[in-house]
Amino acid sequence: MSEPKRIHPIGMLLSIFKIIKQTALSYLPLLIIAISSKQWMYILIGAIAILVFLLVYTFLSWWRYTYLLEEDQIRIEQGIIVRKKRTISKHRIQSIDLSQNLIHRIFGLTKVQIETAGSDHNIDASLHAVTMEEGRYVHDQLKYNKQMKEQLSDEAEGHNLEMKEQPAHPFKKVTPRALIIAGSTSGSFGIILGLFAIGFSELETFIPDHFYNQATAWVMAQALQVLIALAIVVFIFIWALGIVTTLIQYWDFTVTRYEKELYITRGLIEKKQSTIPLKRIQAIGMKESILRQPLGYASLYVEIASGEISQNGETTTLLFPLMKKAKVKDFLQEVLPEYDYTIDQPTSLPKRSLPYYLIRSILFPLLATIILAFTLLEWVYIPIIATILAAVFGYWQYKTVKFQLEKDYLFVQSRLLSRDTVIVKHSRIQSMQKKQHFLHRKQQLASINIAILNKFVGRHITIREMELDEAYQIADWYSYQKK
Amino acid sequence: MREQPTERIAKDAIKAWQITAHLTAIIFLIVSIAAFVAAYFFDFISYWIGIIAISITIVEWIITCFIVPKLRWRRWRYQIYDQEIYIQHGIIVVTRTVVPMIRVQHVDTEQGPILKKYGLATLQISTAATKHEIPALLEEEAADLRDQISALARVEQDDV
Repeated sequence: MSEPKRIHPIGMLLSIFKIIKQTALSYLPLLIIAISSKQWMYILIGAIAILVFLLVYTFLSWWRYTYLLEEDQIRIEQGIIVRKKRTISKHRIQSIDLSQNLIHRIFGLTKVQIETAGSDHNIDASLHAVTMEEGRYVHDQLKYNKQMKEQLSDEAEGHNLEMKEQPAHPFKKVTPRALIIAGSTSGSFGIILGLFAIGFSELETFIPDHFYNQATAWVMAQALQVLIALAIVVFIFIWALGIVTTLIQYWDFTVTRYEKELYITRGLIEKKQSTIPLKRIQAIGMKESILRQPLGYASLYVEIASGEISQNGETTTLLFPLMKKAKVKDFLQEVLPEYDYTIDQPTSLPKRSLPYYLIRSILFPLLATIILAFTLLEWVYIPIIATILAAVFGYWQYKTVKFQLEKDYLFVQSRLLSRDTVIVKHSRIQSMQKKQHFLHRKQQLASINIAILNKFVGRHITIREMELDEAYQIADWYSYQKK
Repeated sequence: MREQPTERIAKDAIKAWQITAHLTAIIFLIVSIAAFVAAYFFDFISYWIGIIAISITIVEWIITCFIVPKLRWRRWRYQIYDQEIYIQHGIIVVTRTVVPMIRVQHVDTEQGPILKKYGLATLQISTAATKHEIPALLEEEAADLRDQISALARVEQDDV
């Protein structure tokens, strides 16, 4: 069809950044030894040698990395000494995503990520910098059949990711207001707080002693009110930071429904794009954290089958950052009508299962209380408070569990801390278990465990201590063997 | 899932499990003896450690060798239907599992030295998300089941 192509030269710049980022830490010991030895001459030579090596290496790997689009496949050749040739057939490609970070955006480039169904994501290919035009071309070439291709090439005149949003396809966009609420109620708030604490304790070592002492003395000399005010300022600052990171990450979060896939774009600085083929969706869930539940907000996610785990280790994929819970149904009807559900009469747990929830919840804090009561009596109030909190949570968990069986899906609501609602289709359940121990048997209770596939090892949806009879009903519903 | 499965696993499973229990107990025993030896040579190690270790060993031996295998065997049942596999196991917590044939990704049989001695084999059934086992079936039976399941599982699958 055509000549093998190389990626954009700016790609070299990106690889250099990437290598430096990955190896920066490993230079540190060398650097410390070098500086402490004060052999400036050798340090200079060493640094230049490393730099030259890096430049030559990056140039060569860029030179040797070529790709070639063919009728129904893409060929990629790479490797400086060991040549690797990879051919990916069009039919095996699950999704092709274009994403842009800051450097990409400056130069009008994009990264093309080609994902196959394999569990090893090294098998997947990526062209880490091509022009936007080329990226779109590769995307359309590999993705669509002829007629759709023509249609799309008419549409995709511009150089923007947003070009794909055609009014013909239903789409939903997050509002800045919802994002601000999402940011201010996000759990990352706590994480940032933690990072701050760590960062500060690390920073301590860099601040000269006398300065540090002076500062501490000054802080100590201030009145309590000032300290409290200071704490509040820091708190607000961290909170604002949480909001800003959420805004940057999920800015313009748009989910568009195409015939066979969902297409998500998001990000303020880094434009990210991802595709979720509908047939890989295993279940859909709604999460309401403790802060969001009283406000009536929920975030939506999907469980998809894929070998790749996202960088932040999350096994679920965000479908929408935040929306009013009351609007979820409308959202699904429009974007994902396959999962349109009606929950009118969810079943709760029987009263006799409450003790199990309470005991499971308070067991460890109670043990801690007992141990502390014998050893450090004056601190015993801490585990006592923990026990009471645990009991409240146990009761709450018990109260939250609800489920409903419909013709082709099962609805399960449960709570660890956040309220988590899952809708899973009959055809997506991998296996089902019913568990009972002797007390359960006596009380006609049973726990069920439903396994579905997700990005990692699979997810187990459990309902603990439900009526035995209802467990049987779910089992009958699930059973493929019609007796 | 209301009725328990009908098929039992091979009776020799009890013997095989007992041998495994003996082997584990011997390791425990060696550790206990080592504790006594250590107590003999070093003053700061009390004989009590050895005594506790040996009593734990004996209790463990009795439970895992004379009680558990029989109860386990009695509970272990399975049934292979055309459309699904049905398994029951567990002594205190009784678990019943349903695996639909169309979800089966692959079936393996496995045989360690102890099982081989009794002409037994373990059948392993994997879905995309879970793994299930029927331990200690007669060799031919396990092989037959493996072929039977893989034939039944060869139904056209929609994605994963």
